[in-house]
Amino acid sequence: MLCTPGEHRVTRRKFLGASAGAVGLGALANPAVADELKKQRRQVLFVWLDGGMSQLESWDPKPNTPFGGPFRSIQTSVPGVRVSELLPQCAKQMHRLALVRSVSTQDNSHSAGVDRIQRGDPKNRGVTYPYFGSAVAKLVGAGDSGLPPYVWVKPMSGGFIYKHAGFLGPKFGALALGDGKPPENLLRPKDLSAEADDERNELRKLLDKEYAANRRPELTEANTHAFEMAAQLQKKIELFDLSKLPQKDQDRYGSHDLGRHLLLARRLLEAGVTFVKVTSYGWDTHGDHFNGAASLHPKFDKPFAAILEDLADRGMLDNVLVIACAEFGRTPRINGHIGRDHWPEAWSVAMAGRGIKRGVVAGRTNDTGTDVATDPVDIGGLFHTWFRALGVNPEEVQYRNAGQPLPIAHDDMKPVSEVLA
Amino acid sequence: MSAQPKAASNAPKEVGKPIAVPVQASRVRFSPDGKVLAVACFDAKARRYDVSGKEPAELPALGEHNGWLSALAFGEERLFTADSWGRLSAWDGATRAWTVEAAHDGWLRALAVTKAHVFTCGRDGFVRAWSAADGKKIAEFDAKADVLSLCASESTLFAGDLFGTVRTFELPALKPGRAFEVKEFYKLDRIQDVGGVKCLALSPNGKSLFAGGAEPKGGGFVECTPLLVAFDLASGKRTSQWKGANPAEGFVTDLAPHADGRVLFTTSGQPGQGKLHVWKPGDATTSFSGGKLPNCHSVALHPNGEVAAVSATNANSSGNGRVKGTGGDYPNNASPVQMWKV
Repeated sequence: MLCTPGEHRVTRRKFLGASAGAVGLGALANPAVADELKKQRRQVLFVWLDGGMSQLESWDPKPNTPFGGPFRSIQTSVPGVRVSELLPQCAKQMHRLALVRSVSTQDNSHSAGVDRIQRGDPKNRGVTYPYFGSAVAKLVGAGDSGLPPYVWVKPMSGGFIYKHAGFLGPKFGALALGDGKPPENLLRPKDLSAEADDERNELRKLLDKEYAANRRPELTEANTHAFEMAAQLQKKIELFDLSKLPQKDQDRYGSHDLGRHLLLARRLLEAGVTFVKVTSYGWDTHGDHFNGAASLHPKFDKPFAAILEDLADRGMLDNVLVIACAEFGRTPRINGHIGRDHWPEAWSVAMAGRGIKRGVVAGRTNDTGTDVATDPVDIGGLFHTWFRALGVNPEEVQYRNAGQPLPIAHDDMKPVSEVLA
Repeated sequence: MSAQPKAASNAPKEVGKPIAVPVQASRVRFSPDGKVLAVACFDAKARRYDVSGKEPAELPALGEHNGWLSALAFGEERLFTADSWGRLSAWDGATRAWTVEAAHDGWLRALAVTKAHVFTCGRDGFVRAWSAADGKKIAEFDAKADVLSLCASESTLFAGDLFGTVRTFELPALKPGRAFEVKEFYKLDRIQDVGGVKCLALSPNGKSLFAGGAEPKGGGFVECTPLLVAFDLASGKRTSQWKGANPAEGFVTDLAPHADGRVLFTTSGQPGQGKLHVWKPGDATTSFSGGKLPNCHSVALHPNGEVAAVSATNANSSGNGRVKGTGGDYPNNASPVQMWKV
C-alpha cells in the first residue's frame, strides 16, 4: 500500500463527532475540535548528540569493570534498571523511557556515520534516502499547525536544508533555526505596510517564476518553499520569545544552548510542529573524556528529563515520539589522552512517548560493554521501530520515487518489538 | 614562548625497562624512605613495587576501592588512597588502618598530606580535612566548583579548581585566604567546561607555588597547549611560566619540584603526545623534554633526588572501532612506569 494524503486527515466521523453543535468553518475554532485534532497529532522530538555520547557514562554503565570508567551507576524509577550517576534527572524519568542497549551499527566515521544513521542506512538502491525528519514530514505530514513539518533547532547558523530530503524533494527539507532563532528578516519591517509587503511578495513570486523557467525544478522549489515556510513562521513569531516563560521553566532546562533549544522544542511541539530535531555539538570526546562527560552529560540530563516531564504533564507523550540518539557510542577502551574513541559496535539509544512501552530495557551488552550479548539492533531496525510507533507500518507503506517503489526502512530488518507498545 | 628544549649535558636518562603496570594509572608516588613506589590504577587498586633492590619487585596490591583509584599520597608513616566513588583509606603497609566510605559524594579528585592531617577535594565541590590518625573529619569548605588538585605545606592548603582558581586555606581549620588566578586554564567551549588546575606543587624551599594545566583550544577532542605557571608566594605574583608549542600536546599532568630548583613535570595530549620535561623557573624553555613512552600522566621524585618515576601510556593507545589485540582479544591500554636518572 502506498502512502496517501488521506491517511493524514482527520476522519469525517471523528471530525463530525467532535464538531457537533458547531456550524461550518466556525467548528475549527471550537475547543472540542481543536482538542480532537491535537489528540490525533503524531509528532517526534529527535535529540541528536553530535559526535557520540558514551553509552558507558549514560544508559549502559559498567561500574567496577575494566572499561567502566570512574563513575557510579544509580538506581532509576524502574526497579533493577540503573544508569550512570551523570544522569540523575533522567533516572527519575526512567518509568517513561525505553532503552535499547544492543544497538550495533556499521560506520565509525562521523562524515559517513551521521548520514547513514539519520537516513536509516537502507539497502543501496542508487537513490539518496531522506533523513528521518524528512521521512516523517512526508509520511505523517504537517498536521494542523500551519507550521513547517520539519524544524531543526541547532547551534550556529540556520537556513533551509533541502539536502535532508533526499529523493523526496526539497519541500521536505529541514527548516534550521540557527541558535534557536527565527530566520533573519522574518518579520515585516515596521515602516513597511502590509499592502506594500504583499506587493513585494507578488513581485518576488513573478521573478522567481522567471528564474525557475530555465532551471532544475528541485533547486527553485526549495527556494520557493523556504519563503513559504518563513511566512508560516511569521504568524507564530511569539514562539521564539522564551523570556516570557516562567523563570522556573528556564531554570529547569538550563541557560546553555541545549537547555534553551529543548525548551524551544517543547514550544514548537506544543504549537503542533510534526518533527523537531534538536542538535547539540561537541560530544566527540576523544580527550579528557571523563571530565568532558562530567560537564556535558548533566547538560543533557536536566533538560531532557524536563521535557519528558512536561510532555507527560501536558498529555503529549501519547502523541510525541521522543528519541535521544547519535551516530555511534564511544569505545570501551580508554586512550592515552583519557578519551574514548568512536564505537558503533555496542551502544544505546533512548526513546519514549508515542507507541513506545514505558520503563523497559531491550537488549544488553556483555559484562564489560565490549559486545552486544543479545540480537544486535542496527539503525534499520530502529527506523522500523520508530515508524511503527508513529503508526506507519513499513510492511505496508512505501515511498514512490519517479515510479520506483522504495521501502521506507531497511527491507531485511525488523522493529524492536520489546519496546513497542 | 618556545617549547623547544635546550641541549643539556645533564639531561635525564631512562634507566632499565619500564615496570609493566598492566592497567592505566593516574598517579605514582615514592614512600618517604624511597623503598616503595605506589601506583594509583584505573582498576581501583594501588599497585606497589619494592624499588630498593636492583629490579623492582611487586608487592601485594591494595584493593577495597571502587571505580578508579584517583589519588594516593604518602604521609610520614601511612599511605592514603582515594577513589572515584568517594572512598578514602589509610594503610599501614598492606593493612588498612581506617576508611571513610563517603569522604566525598563521588569522584575524590586529589589528596594532600601534612604530619597530622590528610586533605581531600572532589567533584562535589568540597575541600575536606581529616585526621591522619583515625580518619575523623576536622573541617570542610564548600568551594561550589569542581576542585581538581591540592598541595599543602604544614600551615597552608592550596586547592585548584575547574575554573583556574587556586584558593588558599589556613590549616587545619580550612579558613579561606587569598586566591591565585590562572584564567587561561579554563574555557567554556559550546556547552563543555574544559580544563582546570590539573596539578599543584610547592617548591621544596616553600617560596614558590607551581600550577599545571593547559590553555584549551576546544572541547571534545580537547586540544590544549600545556601551561605551567609559577607564583611567588610572598608577593602572590606570577613570576614565570612555560607554555607548550601546540594544542596537540595537552595538559601538564603532574609536577615534581626538585631541591636544586628545577621542576620535573609530565604532559599528555593527543595519543602519542606527552613527555617528561625539566624546567628551571624563569627560563623560556625546558632544559629537557623527552622519553620513549608517550602520554605521561604522573611523575614522582625519589627522596634521594636522583631518580624519578614516570607513569606513561603504551604506544598506539587510540583507535576508532574495534582494536584487536595480538590474540584477537579487545585489549585495554596500560601505564608502564619508567625510571629516570635525573
